[in-house]
Amino acid sequence: MSVINPDQIDAQRLAGMRPDASRGDIDPALGDGSLVDDPALRPPLVLNGRDFHDVTEIVCGYTEKAPGWWWFHALGFAATVAGPAQNMIHYLIITGVGVWGLNNQVDWAWDITNFVFWIGIGHAGTLISAILCLLKQEWRTAVNRSAEAMTIFAVVCAGIFPGIHVGRVWFAWMLFPIPNYNWIWPNFRSPLLWDVFAVSTYATVSALFWYMGLIPDLATLRDRAHRRLQRGESQNMKLRLALPIPFPVLTMPFKGDTLRAYIYGFLALGWRFSGTHWFRYEKAYLILAGISTPLVLSVHSIVSFDFATSILPGWHTTIFPPYFVAGAVFGGFAMVLLLLIPLRELLPNMKDLLTLRHLELMAKILLVTGMMVGFAYGMEFFIAWYGANQFEWYAFIGNRANPETAPYWWAYYTMIFCNVVTPQLFWVKKFRQNPIIIWIVALFVTVGMWFERFVIIVTSLHRAFLPGEWHMFYPTWVDILTFVGSIGIFLTLFLLFVRFLPIFPIAELKAVMPGASPHDHEHHDDDHSDDQGDAPAKEGAH
Amino acid sequence: MEGLGLMSVLFPKWMNAFPTVSAAVAVGGLTSAVLGTYYWATPDFWEVGYMPTQPGAGFNHQLHAGTLGMDCRYCHTNVEDSAHANVPTVSTCMGCHTDGKLAPEYDPGVELVGFIRDAYAEDESIPWRKVHSLPGYVGNFPHHMHIQAGVSCYSCHGQLRGMPVVYQAESLSMGWCLDCHRNVEDHIVGPSKVTDLVWVEEHLADRARNGNNATPEAQAIIDALHASHAEGGPQNCGACHH
Repeated sequence: MSVINPDQIDAQRLAGMRPDASRGDIDPALGDGSLVDDPALRPPLVLNGRDFHDVTEIVCGYTEKAPGWWWFHALGFAATVAGPAQNMIHYLIITGVGVWGLNNQVDWAWDITNFVFWIGIGHAGTLISAILCLLKQEWRTAVNRSAEAMTIFAVVCAGIFPGIHVGRVWFAWMLFPIPNYNWIWPNFRSPLLWDVFAVSTYATVSALFWYMGLIPDLATLRDRAHRRLQRGESQNMKLRLALPIPFPVLTMPFKGDTLRAYIYGFLALGWRFSGTHWFRYEKAYLILAGISTPLVLSVHSIVSFDFATSILPGWHTTIFPPYFVAGAVFGGFAMVLLLLIPLRELLPNMKDLLTLRHLELMAKILLVTGMMVGFAYGMEFFIAWYGANQFEWYAFIGNRANPETAPYWWAYYTMIFCNVVTPQLFWVKKFRQNPIIIWIVALFVTVGMWFERFVIIVTSLHRAFLPGEWHMFYPTWVDILTFVGSIGIFLTLFLLFVRFLPIFPIAELKAVMPGASPHDHEHHDDDHSDDQGDAPAKEGAH
Repeated sequence: MEGLGLMSVLFPKWMNAFPTVSAAVAVGGLTSAVLGTYYWATPDFWEVGYMPTQPGAGFNHQLHAGTLGMDCRYCHTNVEDSAHANVPTVSTCMGCHTDGKLAPEYDPGVELVGFIRDAYAEDESIPWRKVHSLPGYVGNFPHHMHIQAGVSCYSCHGQLRGMPVVYQAESLSMGWCLDCHRNVEDHIVGPSKVTDLVWVEEHLADRARNGNNATPEAQAIIDALHASHAEGGPQNCGACHH
């Protein structure tokens, strides 16, 4: 439906119809051309000599053209996985938390494991959009939109579990300090209450940040739809079943672009690309980045207080806040890579915007945060020994590390292998530049981070001070289907995002391209080593 | 570019009012919801004034407790000693209303007390309907402890000496319970005065107007409660709930 099919650009270029300065003379050692080792050179962030128009066409093309076959299959699969989770939640609410495998000793298990897992995954988005923004890391523009979306969807999944684990969900309003006829008030000394505020603040700010960044791009989509309408290029909307079942194609009595113009126009809030708009946008972006930066650190610190302020050995540890934050960034970047590496293969021309260098940089973050997490694992043992508290020593050795005495030793070593051992591959340049290896490591890290939370919660709880209370935890099918279903909910939301919203921040991407630099006209080759440091001129993008 | 004038092409001018109107609707809706909940969704609105029709000719508290001046504990025998406050058995009624026991000028006649005599003759209970009912999740309400602490019948049941038919005078909501548990000095009159409802009504009204007028007996209990760990009536969840 768009004016130019992004795939045609490659075809035209190959046919010599488009100038292509970069292709053909890329050193094979540079991968796709972005893996420049020389620190004096700024590697390109957008490849293949794409100009501003190409970027607009590529990004808008993802939502404007019919999606590939894979999208329907993936959405069908994700939604099918998500479905049972809704049923499990209904079943839980109707019947009670006894349908989970909880018992008197292990009263938090997969529910809180899943909550901490998902809320941790959400951290990559805010880190990329806030901290990397303030640090002027320009490569963030290729991943920030999708990472922010992923953050919000992860927080949605995280929000489910504490909501339903209270059993009587209709009393969940008691979490908030609402004046009420019972004259009761939340306990402000409880970290569980701080958690309510931390997570809801985080969800609100992340959603605001994400939506504000979307506004100019929604306006672009609006204008493009309207232009096609004016030029008479639009056709009536057709609804067809994405299944091999004979079903008549329904032709709607209105044009698809009319709907797009109105919906995107409504969401774009009257954005007109004026200089004043951009001025305010930039200011608001900086303010939101400033607000979000402490949130990156605060949310998971407070989540860790849920455990650290208790007296349970294995939980009662001062290292928890930094350890949890590092783990959250670790798990969050793993999820970004897990989603974006396949997407890079599936969406046309995405490799021009998300280069190997982006993946390598994120792999380096995995290595760094993986080492931090590994240090924290080691420090727990050191403090258990140094503190000479026999209960703490038993919590770490007897309940986790020693296969002779610890029933959950396999969970502990799965965690160590996935989180500490596998990221070490990234010391080797070849591995951290290979998308397949990065994807596999990211998968291991995601599994490992789930096990980390399981180890912290269940192995600490299942054996408290009195051996008479010791009890194992066995998940029920409700536990399993709810967790697997939350992955389905997450993927469904992400797939809908990929289909209907611009997955790259178009204007920000253009601002880090050579064309945005005032010196660009002086030399038009890709050696723009001195260009990138200049202030981006976003107005130039339009 | 074309985008500059586009919003006016797509949307009519009155859409400019959309943000204002939607904000006003949101604020107004929220305010109405809060005020509506505050007014309607309360035991004060739904519970107070509940006055079920009692079996037979009913029981006139105004006559028995007011005009005749009977003590509450003549019929409600266990209120001081039992966690459960009892309603009297038929035989208690028959202590006075056996046929021919009262002098003819005091006998209310068969149309008012015949159902008592019939129930007694058939060895059946009278299905009195419960007026003051606590929810099932209030698993622990020891009635006797409240009487022994000197909380008058009046504080929870209202001025029974003026009620021809008993109705629920207070909301019995959790906030209402906690109000007294947190401010015991406003309500305690001492065990010796709990059933003296007319005196209690004036006494407590005077206390609300002019400040503390507690009798030494009541003051001792108030001081003891304030010195206790709960600094008043118990307020932990387990004090009342399972």
